Amino acid sequence: MKLSALKPVALVLSRELALTALLLLGVSLVVFVILFLAPGDPFSVLLEGQMPSHEARAGVREALGIPTTWYGQYFAWLGNLLRGNFGTSIRTGLPVFGEIVRVGASTLYLTLGSMLVTLLIAVPIALHASVRGATPFNRPFTLLAYVVSALPVFWLGYVAIYLVSRQLGVFPLVSQASAPTERAWLYSLLPICVLGLGNGTVSEVVRYLREELSRVMAEDYIRTARAKGASVWRHAFREGLLIPMTEIVASKIPFILGGAVIVEQVFNWPGMGRMAWQAAQDRDFPAIMGIAMVAATLVRTGSLLQRVVYVAVNPRASQQRRGGGWAE
Amino acid sequence: MKRYTQIEDASRPASDVSPWKSAGTLDLACVGYGLIVVAAVLVSYVLGVFEWLPYDPEHISFGLLNAPPGSAGHLLGTDFLGRDILSRLIVATQAYFLPGLVAIAISLVAGTVLGALAGYRGGGVEVLVTYFNNLVDSFPRLVLILLVIAVFRVDIYYIMIIVGVTGVPVVASLVAGKIAFLRQKHFIEAAHVLGLPAHVIVLKHILWHHCAPLLVIRATIGMGEVILIETSLSYLGFGVQEPTPSWGNMVQAGANYFFQGKFWPSTAPALAILFTILGFHLLGDGLNGILEDRSGK
Amino acid sequence: MGAPLLEIESLRTYFYSRSKRAFIRAVDGVTLALARGETLGVVGESGSGKSVTALSITGLIGAGPGVIGGTIVFRADGGEQNLLADLERYVDRKEVDGRIVEVSKDEAGWRRKVERIMAPLRGKAISVIFQNPKSALNPFVRVGAQITEVIRLHTPTKGAREAREQALDWLRRVKIDSPRLRFDNYPYGLSGGMCQRAVIAMALASEPALLIADEPTTGLDATIQSEIVGLLAELKAEIGIATLLISHDIRVISRLADNVAVMYGGSVMEHGPAADVLAARFAPKHPYTTALLASIPSEQNVRDKGYLTVIEGEVPDAVDLPRGCRFYARCNRVTDGVRDRCAQREPALQEIAPGHRVRCWLYGE
Repeated sequence: MKLSALKPVALVLSRELALTALLLLGVSLVVFVILFLAPGDPFSVLLEGQMPSHEARAGVREALGIPTTWYGQYFAWLGNLLRGNFGTSIRTGLPVFGEIVRVGASTLYLTLGSMLVTLLIAVPIALHASVRGATPFNRPFTLLAYVVSALPVFWLGYVAIYLVSRQLGVFPLVSQASAPTERAWLYSLLPICVLGLGNGTVSEVVRYLREELSRVMAEDYIRTARAKGASVWRHAFREGLLIPMTEIVASKIPFILGGAVIVEQVFNWPGMGRMAWQAAQDRDFPAIMGIAMVAATLVRTGSLLQRVVYVAVNPRASQQRRGGGWAE
Repeated sequence: MKRYTQIEDASRPASDVSPWKSAGTLDLACVGYGLIVVAAVLVSYVLGVFEWLPYDPEHISFGLLNAPPGSAGHLLGTDFLGRDILSRLIVATQAYFLPGLVAIAISLVAGTVLGALAGYRGGGVEVLVTYFNNLVDSFPRLVLILLVIAVFRVDIYYIMIIVGVTGVPVVASLVAGKIAFLRQKHFIEAAHVLGLPAHVIVLKHILWHHCAPLLVIRATIGMGEVILIETSLSYLGFGVQEPTPSWGNMVQAGANYFFQGKFWPSTAPALAILFTILGFHLLGDGLNGILEDRSGK
Repeated sequence: MGAPLLEIESLRTYFYSRSKRAFIRAVDGVTLALARGETLGVVGESGSGKSVTALSITGLIGAGPGVIGGTIVFRADGGEQNLLADLERYVDRKEVDGRIVEVSKDEAGWRRKVERIMAPLRGKAISVIFQNPKSALNPFVRVGAQITEVIRLHTPTKGAREAREQALDWLRRVKIDSPRLRFDNYPYGLSGGMCQRAVIAMALASEPALLIADEPTTGLDATIQSEIVGLLAELKAEIGIATLLISHDIRVISRLADNVAVMYGGSVMEHGPAADVLAARFAPKHPYTTALLASIPSEQNVRDKGYLTVIEGEVPDAVDLPRGCRFYARCNRVTDGVRDRCAQREPALQEIAPGHRVRCWLYGE
């Protein structure tokens, strides 16, 4: 890439970065407002730890110089967040941030793996459907994608566990933590496959890829490529597959994270989703707030990465106005 | 071999042909199946409200635990407490039906207003709406709902407000996209030139004539999403609580027996979820294929 | 001269309107021949089937049922081959009094067959220049790379470097501004005219035996159009490649073509030397050609009449083609002597002068 081409790209990326920061600020504000409106003044917990009574809280608040205005509280809270201080979990008494970092890795492993599974299923179906049109052969596959997407993921989990553990006797029916180490990775494939199949996105990924690929295949430049005897796939790959794939995956991150909450519950998987469930059970709002912030950050990061790929691949990206929220 | 047949009366103008007449068989089949599902849900809801059920859904009978379908007058068998599964499945539609309508109404109304503002006004409004959409899209729905549950300890209707608000961006993008499409065709400028007031253009010409099918389609797909969220939440132990049935908590309740080889109490509600969500999705997609893809071309 | 390079015989390419449940007879029995080194201009209003003819030759028809009949004989490199070989095995037609009313076609099988036939020819022996040059170039690939790709695919070169040099040379030959710069540009950075020059360079880079130029000037500004026509004329003189030039613009055709075929309603109405067909005063010609010539805004027309004539009526609906002459409804030269025949039976394309054929009941029986 030439230096002259790098400059507009850098400009676009810095704009994307600023936008991401702005959105994360909004995310923090939403979370703050929810906490602010909560009954029972959760900020006393977030900022000072548990206090026995309202008077005592007010006294301590004053003594510690905690701001009384809402925006004062917001900035104090935001400052803590930025320093990695998400408060202390009510249930465990440990700092929330450390706990999220500890369980976050296994959730990332689960969600990234399941994305891969989803793509491995969806891409061949979409490719076949867009090349051949609706043939008697690929219709059942498209329908199958719909059925799989409508399956409740928790029940799918049961079926998977039953089939694999009980019938085939392959994996122990225990959590990842206590599984024999040499089989831990094998056992971990099960929830990944279940989430990849059952997070409700397979049919949407199939449909989006098929539509985009069919649209690109009908473009004039693809006809030119065929007329000059060049490989159609080489010419269609970027606009027809690479860009739509990153777009749909980035836009489905929230769904996959939501699905992880359920799958982690079903498989007793020690991740963020299970932590979120536990926190909601115990009204452990420092913990669930931290998870919400981290999840939103993951979503925005995925979206940012998608834009990076788009700008890197599309020479026109630096010339175009950002597509914004109307991309879908 | 693909067969093409010419009919003799080939001179009819294309615009007179109703989209339903030229619809593909596959789309029609999807819509047909979807309508059956919608009818089944409606009937179940009514049956549940008036308690016209084969059995009392909360009647416990220890003599007949985890009975298979068809045994002793229980068409779909019984659960781990001997309760009639069919009755519980029917009653469970109440867990999502009205709350779901609330969520869909919120998404459609707010989404249409925001989308129309963004698409019609453009400029700063559009930027704000885009920002709002991206903001809402940043949260996984389930995590946001769990946050609200943890903080407020609320019931299903409040949860559905969250679902409704998080459903706004999709509707807003669809409406704004449609308006942008109409703008491209110089349809809106033409209406302006004719001297029509802005509210007439937006309400009658844009929303009523061009967005109504879109909103109906969105509503059906929205219902599928609502069922998914309600069942997920009740599966996780939030929302509707035992002994009141919900498809989600029924699956959960049958879990232990599932691993003992008694699949049915868990599988019956799971199939209900599957066929219902599939129905709403296929209905939405079929309608989309018939009504939207055509007018878009 | 020997056998023609390209011989199209009774080509039929139909599409199907699902909403009307009827065939769109886009190309309905086209017969054409193109000699080596000749430029054949195909002229006609939009919807007359010109471009579909071109796409049929290259096997790029996407919609069904597509090509359903005819032969396309292509003779290059000493060989002779029918590009529609074995078509009959894939297509089953049912006719009711002379009109096709049902077609069954193994489309997947035919597509595979076409790919087998065309794969060695596309881009190498037959090149295409499409209309709308801006969308014909891949927006994700640098202009130079797109030309280099053709050279590397189809011509014996020693390596990437030599192919690049050749591509750059072709950019120079099509007289693009600052070719070195354009070589590294993406198509969005180029104007419509520059894109078309690049497309022309890409089409010629493989040194094909046949060039199909499908509306090469459509979608360009008027001044750019005449520049492109000028370029094509220079290249014709320089390279002399056999060209099927398709255009609705008679002025483009008259500047470049040796022979002209006039198309109307999916069929060839007149086919002969450009000088005769396009000369307003050359007597025996199709009434449609006469009307078409009278509608061009030329100095001659304005001087003779003081106004321009329009052809009354509309292009026949390709769904509902008339039974008799396709031009009958708009023809202003129908005499009582031929009226019945015009309305009832389609005239044949018959030779009225050496190399000049007309499809009209006014000439011959």
